[in-house]
Formats: sequence, C-alpha cells, structure tokens
Amino acid sequence: MVYLQVIVNGLTLGALYACLAVGFSLVWGVLNVINMLHGSMIILGGYLTWFAWEIWGVPPLAALLPVAAALFLLGWVLQMTMINRLVSQPVLTTLTVTFGLDLILYNAMNVVFDATPRRVTLDLGTVALGPVVLAWDRVLVFALALGLTLMLYVVMRTSRAGRAIVAVRMDRDAAALMGIRINRVYAMTFAIGAGLAGACGVLMAMVFPITTNLSGLLLGKAFVVCVIGGLGTVPGALVGGLALGLIESFSGHWFGPQNAVLIGFVLMLVLLMTRPTGLLGRKGYE
Amino acid sequence: MISKRPSHPSSLRLLRGLALSGVLAAGLAAQAQGVIRIGAPLALTGGLADEGLKQQVAYDMWLQRVNAAGGIQVGAQKMKVELITYDYQTDPKSAQQIAERLITQDKVDFMTAPFGSGHTKIVAGVAERYGVPLMASVASSESVYDQGYKYLFGTLAPNGGIVQNMAAMFTKQIPGVKKIAILGREDVFPRAMATEMKKAAEGVGLEVVYNELYPVGTLDHASSMLKIKAAAPQWIFVTGYTQDLILARKQMSDLKLGAPIVTMITGPSYREFIDGLGKLADGVTSASWWHHSLTYKSSDVFGSTEAFYKAFVEREKKDPDYVHASAAAALVVLQKAIEKAGTLDKAKVRDALAATDVLTFYGPVKFGANGMNQGRELPIVQVQAGKVVPLFPTAIAAGTLAAVAAP
Repeated sequence: MVYLQVIVNGLTLGALYACLAVGFSLVWGVLNVINMLHGSMIILGGYLTWFAWEIWGVPPLAALLPVAAALFLLGWVLQMTMINRLVSQPVLTTLTVTFGLDLILYNAMNVVFDATPRRVTLDLGTVALGPVVLAWDRVLVFALALGLTLMLYVVMRTSRAGRAIVAVRMDRDAAALMGIRINRVYAMTFAIGAGLAGACGVLMAMVFPITTNLSGLLLGKAFVVCVIGGLGTVPGALVGGLALGLIESFSGHWFGPQNAVLIGFVLMLVLLMTRPTGLLGRKGYE
Repeated sequence: MISKRPSHPSSLRLLRGLALSGVLAAGLAAQAQGVIRIGAPLALTGGLADEGLKQQVAYDMWLQRVNAAGGIQVGAQKMKVELITYDYQTDPKSAQQIAERLITQDKVDFMTAPFGSGHTKIVAGVAERYGVPLMASVASSESVYDQGYKYLFGTLAPNGGIVQNMAAMFTKQIPGVKKIAILGREDVFPRAMATEMKKAAEGVGLEVVYNELYPVGTLDHASSMLKIKAAAPQWIFVTGYTQDLILARKQMSDLKLGAPIVTMITGPSYREFIDGLGKLADGVTSASWWHHSLTYKSSDVFGSTEAFYKAFVEREKKDPDYVHASAAAALVVLQKAIEKAGTLDKAKVRDALAATDVLTFYGPVKFGANGMNQGRELPIVQVQAGKVVPLFPTAIAAGTLAAVAAP
C-alpha cells in the first residue's frame, strides 16, 4: 500500500513545517511583524545543536532546551532594544528592519560557520510497520514538533502570559487599558517566536543537513504554511504545516518532484483568492 | 549594494577588508602601473557561498605564492598581481553587473569566472564583449563553451567523459546491473550530468527506470525515493549539491531503499559529504575532475599535486576538493600564458592560452577549440570506510569497486 507510505512521509514532513511556521505565525499575528529573521534563527538553532554535538557530544535532544533558551534570549533582547521602538510603525518598516537583521545574522553565520552543510550523524535506524517504513529520527521529530506546538497551544490557553498575548492580539488598546504591559507582552511574544525557531532548528539538525543556504527556503515555507493555515493561531500553523507536507508528498508522488513545490504554491494562491483567512484563520488577521 | 573586497585568506578578515576597502581603492589607482589586475566575481554569500569561498581560498594560495616570488615574469620585468574580488551574492544579474564593473571601472587585465556553469555563461558573455580573457575553473557543461567565445578557457573537462567511463566500468565489475534510476537537480550542471548519465547508461544497454529532476530548494526527496524503490534499480544515480545529496542519501536509508551501486555527483568529492553522512557515505561512488591522491609533478608555483595538498591542509586544516584545485589551476595556467606571451596584451595572452599544453599540479591542461580542457582520464572514486578511494584511472587506483551494503 504505497499511499500509506506517502501519507506517512507527508505527515512527518508536515509536522516539521508546522514547527517552523508556528513561531513565525505567532509573531506575525500578535505583533503584526513579518519576522524575516525567522529562517536564519532556525539555522542558528541548527548550528548550535550541531556544534554542541560535534564538540561536546551533546545529543540533540539534550540540546533542545538550552538552544531554545538561547534563542529566546536573543529574541527578547532584539525586541526590547530594537523592534519595540518600531512596532507601531507600518508593517513595511518592521519588515525592512528584520530583513536587515537577517542579512547581518545570515552573513555572520556564513563567516563563522563557513556555510558548509553539517548534519548530526546520529542514525537511529528504522522501523517497519507492515509495508510502511519509518525512520526513528523522523518519528521523534514528528512527536517533538507536535509536542512543541501543543505546548504552545496550552500555554496560550492557560497561562497568564499566554492570555495576555491573546488579549493583545485581539485588541491592543483595550488590553493596555486593562493594565497589560504591552511592551512586555511584545517582547515575550517575539522571544517565544525566536525560542520556537531555535527548537525547530534542533529538530532540523536531526534530519537535515544544516546550511545557511536553507534560511530563505525555510522562511518561504513558513509563509506558505501561515497562508494555508491562517495567521496567528497555533492550530492554524499545525493544520497549514500538515496540509503542506501532505500536498507536497502527494504531488511529488503523482506529478514528480519537479512539480511538488510548484503545486504547493499554486494551492496557496488559490487559497489566497478564495479564503484569504486561511483554513483556520479568523477574520481580521488576513 | 556592491562592495569592494580585496582578497583575504580567512573569511573573518573579509570584514576588516570591507572596512579598509575605501583606502585600498584609492591606493590601487595610484599603483595601477606595474601591477597585473585580475578580477574575480565570487559568490561569497547566498546559495553558493560555500563554493565561492573555496574559489577565494584557492586564488589566494596562488596569489601569495606568486607575489612572494616577486610576481609574474612579463617580458623583461616582474609584475606583482592584484586580485580584485566582489561578492555577487549568488545572484546572476549581480554577477553580470560586477563583471562589467571589473572591466570598465577597475580596468582589470584578466578575469576569473564565478562558480558553476550557469553563472560562468553569463560572465563569459560580458568578457567576450570586451575581449578580456576569462578563466573558468568550475564550469563543465559544454553548453557554456559552444557559444563561439574566443576568450573563455575552462580547466574542467567535459561532463560527458565523467559518466561514460563510469558506465562502462561499473557494468563490467558488478554483474547483474540492468536498471538504473536517475534523479537530478534542476540546475545547469546537475541537470547536464543527469542527461549525460541517461545517454551513457543507454549506451551500455541499461534500462532507465526512473528519470526525474527535482527543483532547487527541495526539502524532501521521499516521494522520489519511494518511486525509485518501486522500480527496483541496481544503480541509483543522483546529482545535486552537497546538501541535496546528504538529504537524498539519508532519505534513501529512511525508506530502506538500496542498490548495489549508488552514485552521487559530486558528493563524495567533498569532505562535508562524508562528514555529514557518516556510515551512510560508505559505498557511494562518484567521479570528479581531480582528487588529492593524484601524483602529478609540475613546474608551476605549487610543484606537485602532493605539495598543493600539503600546503592546503596546513592552511585550511581540511582536504582540498576539485573546486580548490581547479580554481588554483586556472590561475596557474593564466600565469603560464602571460609568461609565454611576454605581455599583458589581452589578445596575445588569449592566443597563448589557446596554445596551452602544460602539465600542472592539477594534471595536464590543453584547451580544445571551444576553450575547454580536453581529454583527461577523470578519476572515479568510492567512499570506503569513510575514506575516498580512487578506482580509476588504473594508474592511480587504490582499491576496487565494492557493492553498497544493503540497507
């Protein structure tokens, strides 16, 4: 049953897409900032993971928290020192600023890390379930990507910080009147987005060769996932990611690898025209 | 967006170079007399940054040696060499603009081409228009050289030669190879190699059971691998850049897809391919234009393949690959041509280049009528126990072809 394998491939890929988009979507939805840095942050997370593994032998799983924390911190500092000053400006201004920051980070990584593709060569083997073959590392990444996304969902639903973020997203002025410190919420949101990018980088390093060349690609995927799934909601990123993974997997199977990516983009365009809020987006966030 | 970057050995020093560039530019104009100026558009950022940096290192190794020896003998005088490099950010349009700028504003005498056949073709058009000899070190598609250009010279031999030897040798040494699957990257060189492989495979009577291209920026090869698995070939042939090939090999293993012969062009030529795959790299075959285990002795600034290898390892703490060697060889050949012409006159140096027939540390270089290095027995290699082992040409073979372990 070859389609079962196609579905499994699509889902494992899709979980990764969801994971790389969820932080991006959060920042865009709450701050109305299109964070062009997101792709490079993921790559930075990947490189940190690789170096931790290569130099100290730290397994990627153990690096997950520290790397996410490091990126969280970076995000907090960036937001507090720079982006908060501009956050009320039109979206093009913040886009330009994050684009500039991305150029700096990207080129700094090229200088320091050489742009050489590096992979954590930790092969965990495969498991066969009937006709379907699964690589353990992909299964692990799938579970972690879902776990991270779910965790974010719970945090947003139940914690004070999460409720504050949701409140600011819904109505910034009203939230400020209720005593929510907007700047803190923005910094927290951006930092969470960056932390998630870092965590995603750790997962990427387990299954992909990490190279700076990927950063633009990952950012592109995050865009598509957000458009498909809908902006600013955690379930939206999840649904968008899984949908894109499945779409690419099936179109690759049916129409060849040359058309897999193309079909993903075409569907994005169709969705933009017919349902600009995305599959799960709410009105007002398109 | 254009930044002037004098050549520096380490990428960290690039930044410092950037800051100093204004000062240096002024200085350069003053001392333009008595200096040979070579312009080099390099991909130091963007998709090909990794490759661009390799060219930069090789150029710099050559430059340091030449200038340490007092420069290049031009007629009666020795002239120092100035390398003027710009980062074209892996953007073809930018490469074209930079080539124009190097010729019209920086007034370079000679030029080197960027990485890859696609970008080389663009810059070659500009160089031809102005009659500036252009040394291409990493362009191997014949489609670059069949434009009738007179000033373009490439140190890599034609693509086709690589896979023809391979098809003949592999089918002879591993019996029962009947079907081949070909997966190529939709990009000038990898696509050309995939096409050449199809021709070569059919030439030796193999059935091509899968023949697809994947677009640049593919993050997943699972659907291709699944199709290939269903076709059950004995030979899987994949072309692409290192990151594509690492991912493809890993996903083959993820899906338990195997074949006695797995060839990746040009993956195993790069150290990072083996580092990034570990055990999975074992058994992967490839062909390349150069390998550091070759044993050429030469009268150029490097002296021999071995001397080049040692100097490189000492400097970079890693193995050189064919990109490094070919890039350094391009400048070695240019140097020889300038010395032979005894002038910086572009047309005369061009004629000297066309008449080139030298043995360099990189191997023999003799340009055909189209400007391409002709007929060498290109090395075929296989990764065995984490090391690249040459299998061909017979004179330098250090092992025999082994089938890839089943997944």
